[in-house]
Amino acid sequence: MIHVSNLSKQYNKVSVLNIENLDIPKGQSFGLVGNNGAGKTTFFNLMLDLISPTTGFITSNNIQVNTSEDWKPFTSSFIDESFLIGYLTAEEYFYFIGDLRGRTKADIDTFLHQFDEVFNDEILGKRKYLRDLSKGNQKKTGIVAALIGNPDVIILDEPFANLDPTTQIRLKKLLNDLTKDSQKTVLISSHDLGHVTDVCDRIVVLEKGEVVKDLHTSAETLKELESFFAV
Amino acid sequence: MISRFLSLEWKQFKRSASFDKKIAIKILMGFVVLYFATAAIALGAGVYFIIKESAPQADPLVLINNFLIYYFLIDLAIRFFMQQLPFMNVKPLMLLPVKKNIIINYLLGKSMLSFFNFIPLFIFIPFSIVLLIKDYAVLNVLVWFLGVILLILSNNFVNFIINKNTKIFYILTTFLIILIGLEYFNIFKLSTYTGIALNAFYKNPLFIVGPILIFVSCYLANFRLLKKGLYLEDLDTKKAKTVNAADLSWLNRFGKMAPFLKNDIKLIWRNVRPRQVMLMSFVFLFYGLIFYTNPTYQKMPAFLAFASMFVTGGFLMTFGQQVPSWDSEYYKLMMSQNIPYKLYLEAKWYLMVVGVVIAFVLSTPYIYFGWRIYSMIVAGAFFNIGLNGFINLYGGALNTTPIKLNVKAKAFQNTNKFNPTLLLIALPKVFLPMLIFYIPYKFISFEAGTFALGLIGISGLFFKDFFIRSIEKTYQKRKYKTIAAYCETT
Repeated sequence: MIHVSNLSKQYNKVSVLNIENLDIPKGQSFGLVGNNGAGKTTFFNLMLDLISPTTGFITSNNIQVNTSEDWKPFTSSFIDESFLIGYLTAEEYFYFIGDLRGRTKADIDTFLHQFDEVFNDEILGKRKYLRDLSKGNQKKTGIVAALIGNPDVIILDEPFANLDPTTQIRLKKLLNDLTKDSQKTVLISSHDLGHVTDVCDRIVVLEKGEVVKDLHTSAETLKELESFFAV
Repeated sequence: MISRFLSLEWKQFKRSASFDKKIAIKILMGFVVLYFATAAIALGAGVYFIIKESAPQADPLVLINNFLIYYFLIDLAIRFFMQQLPFMNVKPLMLLPVKKNIIINYLLGKSMLSFFNFIPLFIFIPFSIVLLIKDYAVLNVLVWFLGVILLILSNNFVNFIINKNTKIFYILTTFLIILIGLEYFNIFKLSTYTGIALNAFYKNPLFIVGPILIFVSCYLANFRLLKKGLYLEDLDTKKAKTVNAADLSWLNRFGKMAPFLKNDIKLIWRNVRPRQVMLMSFVFLFYGLIFYTNPTYQKMPAFLAFASMFVTGGFLMTFGQQVPSWDSEYYKLMMSQNIPYKLYLEAKWYLMVVGVVIAFVLSTPYIYFGWRIYSMIVAGAFFNIGLNGFINLYGGALNTTPIKLNVKAKAFQNTNKFNPTLLLIALPKVFLPMLIFYIPYKFISFEAGTFALGLIGISGLFFKDFFIRSIEKTYQKRKYKTIAAYCETT
């Protein structure tokens, strides 16, 4: 599904990301871990063509993301709050994303219904603008919006950060379901080793922009990761 | 401490992404300032003789004093729209052991160094020198000068208060409108009383106490206002407001563009900055009054063409030239969601067209000035729809200044109400309609000029797809730059 080839990104000749070769097959849940500055967000930004690669390219479903826009219809993402439109209410925001993805208001309403528990009566029907919601509720809104329209590729940067424990557990279940019963490819990054191992089939560790570990999740993975990061 | 603040600001300026551009702008702005300063000096030095010539019996100083109130009012109005409030990134300082009083005094002191406070110096220093040469009493002239400057500095602070407090703004505007009305209909002449007051402190220097008191109380009022506002909750503007939702489903007839149009209407409706811009665009409607009533311009109809374009183009220009910037807060979403640029641009263009149409309807009273003028407004509207809209969208594509949507002009936030880059992009917009009008006008007739303006405007519509595609290309070329610039937060 996603193919990375000779990808590198440099800022002022300082390399922040350098991935020679990486393939993410369809339906995989792919986890990216690494310390601050390891290049996780840079990689996601490159995947979304928000920054330009210094060398190499990424293809998604055989579409090179920095030359064509055709990956947009089947890709959705939530990286940070700048993916939210602050002056809309949560409903309006969901409808807007729905409009962009060819979903009617009614579709969205049924879709949102399954998240009632996640929203915990704090997001929908509150007549509040997104900019006035708490960080955690903003995150919930962004993540749910990224699921609208049945996208094939879902990219979530740090989805567990800022979420309350209950929602973290729910989100894990949700992500597991997504990759289990459909052909969706999910890419997430996290600082929480426990969460990624719970959710992802495969975990790649980045260090200073390079892939240093590429693991298929097994019972030992968490231990291995913990010992890797313990210095 | 003050020197540290200054070095912080210097770093902020030097390290911003648009630094290169900014320095070019600064140099250009330097020339503009130089021009204004020269003009002010000339005015200050010359006004005495001008008055002497036209009214030989009158004492120029008395006459000036009588009119000074209008100067102050105009000064205040210009400041209200143009002057930047003193800004400093104050949040990081709040956790550090820096006394609030120091920050506030620094901010207020810095605001006194504004361009708007220097221009009066350029006018009143030469004027005072002329007075001295003409044997006015030295002490009295100096005190008078000091009083005027103190009043102008008070204006500086009054402006901040009305900028920050809408209630005071409305009260003051109503009050002023009433006074101006009374003055106009000769019921109550404020200017005579202010004239008497100003003349009084020329005659008796002790009256200088008045301006000093006004100045000090304005300063203190600001000080208190800022001190009260120096808390996180005020800085964040996170006061939750309940939503005013309107049913915009009638826009669905625009098909794929509908979601964008709906969003843009909410954008304008729910955010402070776009609302300000929309109100500003109403002011443009009155632009014609200046030009159509002034006999000088009747002989220079190219200026009339320019004014006619302005009458209907207010919203188009003020909104259009900042087009991707309005979406800067969530630009990454727009760039990664399922949004083709073409649709995005087209939606913005339609919105601008609606703006022109509304302004055009509102401009109907200009028929009063005759069909010639009105036909020019019609032609101007066509020019706006057919060409100017695209020029503005193109200019916007080059503009990478992010906009904080819901930030009122507040003392602690960066609100560039007046952006010189935009001014530079605006120049061709101003001269193109004049040129289009002028050539046929010169060689054929006034009507031919009007016709050419309208015709070229309409013909622009046939190239709509071409224009949109070219702008789209600019967007694509500058995409990463724009995203990076919008991420920069101050």
